[in-house]
Amino acid sequence: METGIAEKVVSDLSARTDRRIGPPDRALFILVLLVLWIAFAFVLVVSMGLGATKIGVREVLGSLLNWHRSGSADSVILFDIRLPRVVASALVGAALSVAGLLFQGLFRNPMADPYVIGSSGGAALGAGIGLFLLPRFSFLGFGGTAAMAFVGSVATIALVYWLARIGGRVPVVTLLLAGFAVSTMLSYSTYFLVVLDDNFGLKTRVLASWLTGVIAVPRWAQLEVTAGMIGCGLIFCLPLARRLNTLALGDDYARQVGVQVEKTHLAIILAGSLLTAAAVSLGGIISFVGLIVPHMARLVLGPDHVRLLPVTALTGAIFLVLADTLARTMLAPSEVPVGLLTAFIGGPFFLYLLRRTRREYTL
Amino acid sequence: MTPLLQFVDVSFFYQQRAVLEDVSFSLEQGECGALIGPNGIGKTTLLRLAVGMLACSHGSVSLAGRRLDSFRRGEAAQLVALVPQRFEVPFDFTVQQIVEQGRTPYLGLFSGFTRRDRQAVERALELAAVTSLRNRIFNELSGGERQRVKIALGLAQEPRLLLLDEPTQSLDLGRQLELLDHIRVLNDEGVTILATMHDLQLIPDTFSSVLLLGPDQEVCKGCPQDILQPDILERAFDCPPRRQSKLVGENGNLLEKIR
Repeated sequence: METGIAEKVVSDLSARTDRRIGPPDRALFILVLLVLWIAFAFVLVVSMGLGATKIGVREVLGSLLNWHRSGSADSVILFDIRLPRVVASALVGAALSVAGLLFQGLFRNPMADPYVIGSSGGAALGAGIGLFLLPRFSFLGFGGTAAMAFVGSVATIALVYWLARIGGRVPVVTLLLAGFAVSTMLSYSTYFLVVLDDNFGLKTRVLASWLTGVIAVPRWAQLEVTAGMIGCGLIFCLPLARRLNTLALGDDYARQVGVQVEKTHLAIILAGSLLTAAAVSLGGIISFVGLIVPHMARLVLGPDHVRLLPVTALTGAIFLVLADTLARTMLAPSEVPVGLLTAFIGGPFFLYLLRRTRREYTL
Repeated sequence: MTPLLQFVDVSFFYQQRAVLEDVSFSLEQGECGALIGPNGIGKTTLLRLAVGMLACSHGSVSLAGRRLDSFRRGEAAQLVALVPQRFEVPFDFTVQQIVEQGRTPYLGLFSGFTRRDRQAVERALELAAVTSLRNRIFNELSGGERQRVKIALGLAQEPRLLLLDEPTQSLDLGRQLELLDHIRVLNDEGVTILATMHDLQLIPDTFSSVLLLGPDQEVCKGCPQDILQPDILERAFDCPPRRQSKLVGENGNLLEKIR
């Protein structure tokens, strides 16, 4: 009798611990999404009020809700300077974070990120070349820079993917080495373009800012193009999210249950490149966002990509709007490149992850 | 009756080297087969051919009377599942999240989980005795528990034929026996089994037939008592003469003493 009770207590206890470390359920997911949307709206409004001219929250809200340009100085600042920039940083943050999530899934490796694997560098070089060679090129409204950024990013990931894969696996060490070598070559090539450009005196400022990562105030037309790219990339991700879960169990397993592994990898590379290219043509090389944000999301929600996708996009948007607001206000009137800030935050985080995963992966 | 799995003169070449050559055998519905043979003879390749992960270079593989290459993508996975030997998961997926992936052959890109899918996952968790582990992180489980989760993953496909690649490898004796019990239960539930086995002593109590893939690429099939004979094994495994007496046929009652 006594042993029966003891057993029951033990099984109850273990059931309870199971629940405690259990997967966050649907309710938590919805709650997180809700909180993130509210936080996003809040950050948007606050960020638009901050800057050289402080604008009150009520006034920002009023202008946004009425969508009315009064012609006053504040209205011009809000609609032509602050809003495009905040929207741009939100887009860049969402795009880089989701690209990071995709690449981590592709490489089955939590250390992947558009910056680390060189896809940002490839996009920047492509965009630079586009700026030089095809300044007037346009295809479906996409300028030469955006198109070439996409090409550069696809080529780079394809190269790193080919270099780093050993027998269907991508060990941390080959990923980091291949990514490091390739992105170093790429960033110095872009720098070479800056030097060349110096001799002709053309777009040095744009190119140089691409290398450090600065979100300039974009024109609305440019925003529309990149927003279109990012929108396409995100929609393209929706069917990929579930495939990423299956691919996480290994290429062999995925093949067994009928996933077309190579085609799926190609789709992930294309979607991730589209997102990276859009982000880079708006803000240049901004490091580690794609590493930090998916990790934060995974800590709260676990590794299910279907849930991670929207949460990562929103968190990335919030994260980069915050970082960019800090970048343009902390040393006002001069501006700190936001890429520098994310490197300061992301670098140590990256090293911490490397140290932690060292035990799990044979380096 | 058409056999559930049939190999007819199957050859497989990898980089011009023949891994399997003219292998023929069949497995009937309801059998519980152990596939044995020396290292590197192509046992794992044979299992991979049977699920269509690899395509044979010559010959034909048939499932339930239908050639494997005539199946549409994902269709064969509703009949046969392979529980792999090596299985690494880079992220902290829970047991349930992993087992749910077994429903992939039944799901389109956009369709969600139906009640039917959820039932299949529940049944798989139950059959592999991992229901209580469902919310645990896979990477934090012990070897024996992981092995059972892998089996549940295969069962979620609701296969008629379950292939297991070295299911008892790197388990301690107790977990090995436990796992074999599970295999027997599955077989009683109507799942046909084909498992590669290294430890020949574990075979007689669980498996109804033994398929010996020998160096001559001939599959020698029979009941355990007939195949696990010193002279047959000695030839197939190329044993040094003095080890003869250690073979199963004469010393196979060790496990019976334990049980």
